Amino acid sequence: MIERILIVAGREFRQIAATRSFWITLLILPLAFAMGPIASRFLDKSDTDRVMLIDRAGGGTAKAIADRLTLEEQRRVLTALSRYVESHHLEAADPAAPWASHDRWYGDAEVARFAADGGAKAAIARIARIKRGDTPAFDIPDPFYTIVPPPPAVATASPAAIGRTLEPLLRPAEGSKAKPLDYAVFIPADFGRSPAVRLWANGAPAPAFVATLQQLLGQDLRQRFLTANGVSPAVAVASTTIAPAIAVVVPPRGSGRERVLIRSILPLACAYILLMSLILSGSWMLQGSVEERGNKLIETVLACVSPNELMYGKLIGTVGIGLSMVATWAICGLVAAFATHGAIAEIIRPALEPVSSFGAIATILYFFTAGYILVAMIFLVIGSMSDSMRDAQGYLTPVLMVIMIPVTILVQAVLRGATGTAIEVLTWIPIYTPFAVLARLGSGMPLWQIWATGALTAAFIALEVVLLGRVFRATLLASGQRIGLKQVVGLMRRAD
Amino acid sequence: MQHALRLDGVVKRFGTMTAVDGLSFTVAPGEVFGFLGGNGAGKTTSLRMVLDIIRPDAGEIAVLGKPPGREASGRLGFLPEERGLYRSMTALDTVVYFGRLKGMSAADARARGRTLLERFGLGANLKTGVDKLSKGMAQKVQLATAVVNAPELLILDEPFSGLDPVNQGLLEDEIVAAAKGGAAVVFSTHVMQHAERLCDRLLLLAKGRKRFEGTQDAARATLPARLDVVSRQSPAALDGVASATVTAMLDDGWSAWDVRLAPGRDPADLLQSCTERGMPLRRFEQHRPGLHDVFLHIVGPSEVQS
Repeated sequence: MIERILIVAGREFRQIAATRSFWITLLILPLAFAMGPIASRFLDKSDTDRVMLIDRAGGGTAKAIADRLTLEEQRRVLTALSRYVESHHLEAADPAAPWASHDRWYGDAEVARFAADGGAKAAIARIARIKRGDTPAFDIPDPFYTIVPPPPAVATASPAAIGRTLEPLLRPAEGSKAKPLDYAVFIPADFGRSPAVRLWANGAPAPAFVATLQQLLGQDLRQRFLTANGVSPAVAVASTTIAPAIAVVVPPRGSGRERVLIRSILPLACAYILLMSLILSGSWMLQGSVEERGNKLIETVLACVSPNELMYGKLIGTVGIGLSMVATWAICGLVAAFATHGAIAEIIRPALEPVSSFGAIATILYFFTAGYILVAMIFLVIGSMSDSMRDAQGYLTPVLMVIMIPVTILVQAVLRGATGTAIEVLTWIPIYTPFAVLARLGSGMPLWQIWATGALTAAFIALEVVLLGRVFRATLLASGQRIGLKQVVGLMRRAD
Repeated sequence: MQHALRLDGVVKRFGTMTAVDGLSFTVAPGEVFGFLGGNGAGKTTSLRMVLDIIRPDAGEIAVLGKPPGREASGRLGFLPEERGLYRSMTALDTVVYFGRLKGMSAADARARGRTLLERFGLGANLKTGVDKLSKGMAQKVQLATAVVNAPELLILDEPFSGLDPVNQGLLEDEIVAAAKGGAAVVFSTHVMQHAERLCDRLLLLAKGRKRFEGTQDAARATLPARLDVVSRQSPAALDGVASATVTAMLDDGWSAWDVRLAPGRDPADLLQSCTERGMPLRRFEQHRPGLHDVFLHIVGPSEVQS
């Protein structure tokens, strides 16, 4: 019996593996991942906003804004560099450098010193002297803002006409290759006496940009106000630089709020991959059964194998296909991690740590395989009820919808850290149990729930094999009639 | 001698309809057994029960001495009425697959499959995908899947339906060869010419019930004998003659007669009677009834038309 089951499984596996669609599906995910960053480099709009400063009040204010934006960029780079140095224990490269201290919010003076010392490039050069070969490189984050000079038409436009001259820069004509301007700030000649400035934005302005602008112009106005009220200019300037020294304590990378997210990466990915592989391979699962019925093969096959042997063989073959597909994706991921010299491994390693115990691995493997069998069994019966792929699609689409929509919502909810009753309820509905358990594993599930849902899933699969097995056997030889839900229930209740 | 196949009082019902009703028969090794009946007579249902594709409601079936089941599949060959193949497989792989399902090793199934396909003229198409074969070629592959394991019991359900004349001849040769090799061959058909050419014994089935089982001669004997006689005297008065009709007046007082004997009477007795009476004869020829006539006689015209 086992031998015949394996022969059927082998044929099923080879038939699907020989199709072009299988290979396209198999490679599409790794290719999409590989192409994603490359494509985004070519297709995506740069994240750096283009800012134009038009200063009719002497140029000092625009220069101050530009300097402040540059300083904030440097602060961001310094903070990221500090985090990188802390993660890889590279402080020894220059213990006196600001990026070697991680216990505070960097003040303007420290940021200025960092920039004066050559910024990130100089720091990277110093770090390179002690960095190990397998430590990933530090990627300097792209700047948020770049300052573009005003073109002559804007620079010479009257205050009343300046909006019109900016319009084509903010929204270039369709087909134009010119990069649109994100912000234009107009400082009128009477700025100081009047607090009014004008801001044009290509969409809703980013609060951070407006806050920076407001802070800087506010300081300028306050300084002018103090001077006008008898405070000496030196004191007035000094008052604008007063800032608190904020000591910052952050948990190590991979702990705190990050911890739940990182712990959830692998289980959530498994839930997603399970769903995706089922959606992608659903039609292959139907194909074998549909072909046997449609091509009048079933009688020849049933003369050699029992309906149960045929069912188990098909189940093993299709589950084998699904698991091979997932295994291939996993191998591609590992190859990518190796090929990128640890850049991806940096993400994967902390994600693997919390699930590296035998129990965690066994739980993931169990629920993944159980989920696949559970749904594959449904697809198999759909195949046995269908004379053609068109027939089969009629059954398949609603079944996929019933599985896919709640699971997608569930995974998204878990990803957002939600822990509502709906998630709890879905965990105990057998058809969603494997997805829900996989999705929830990272955020922590009581051990008794894992055992109980595992037992529930096993019992449901056993019941499914008995009940859907009856439908499979009964419908194998019944061609030319469309079977409704009522008949399916009737066949389930009818003992062989 | 152990029967290759034995059915005893087999009944199969589908709801209120009785598809097979108390069917009993036996098939011996080396015998070609015809399973004759119109559409819906219960032939396919009976064969499906023999193959354990469906289970009888009553009665007993013994296949090669054992109850039906896949344990015997290695000794069985089956060609169903509705035939198909996996379109994405090659001709040889298809035969190997079914050979392996019947318990053959991959190597044996491959060797035997190759031999069969070459014998069927498909030597150049061993690696050709089934979807690229002509219908006639595919039929040969189907036949090869049925006989790849050199079965002891070969079951063919309407095997000639849809076959081109070349493949009909090929199939007939295979049936004869299998029987000569000691296999029992059971084939269902509603085309009597094939049964006439091949069957050692036959069973006539109508509405699920057996109407006749025996040799072709025994089947023909169920019809009253019919003779063409040319004589100068009327044979109507002779013993055993049911009717005698003149069909032609010939020269010199000779007449041609269509003579029908009473049921169960032997034409040889009539010939002896003519000789004893000194009745001159220029022709005494018995009509050999076809199985079609026998079938018509036994089951009635409505079954033939159905």
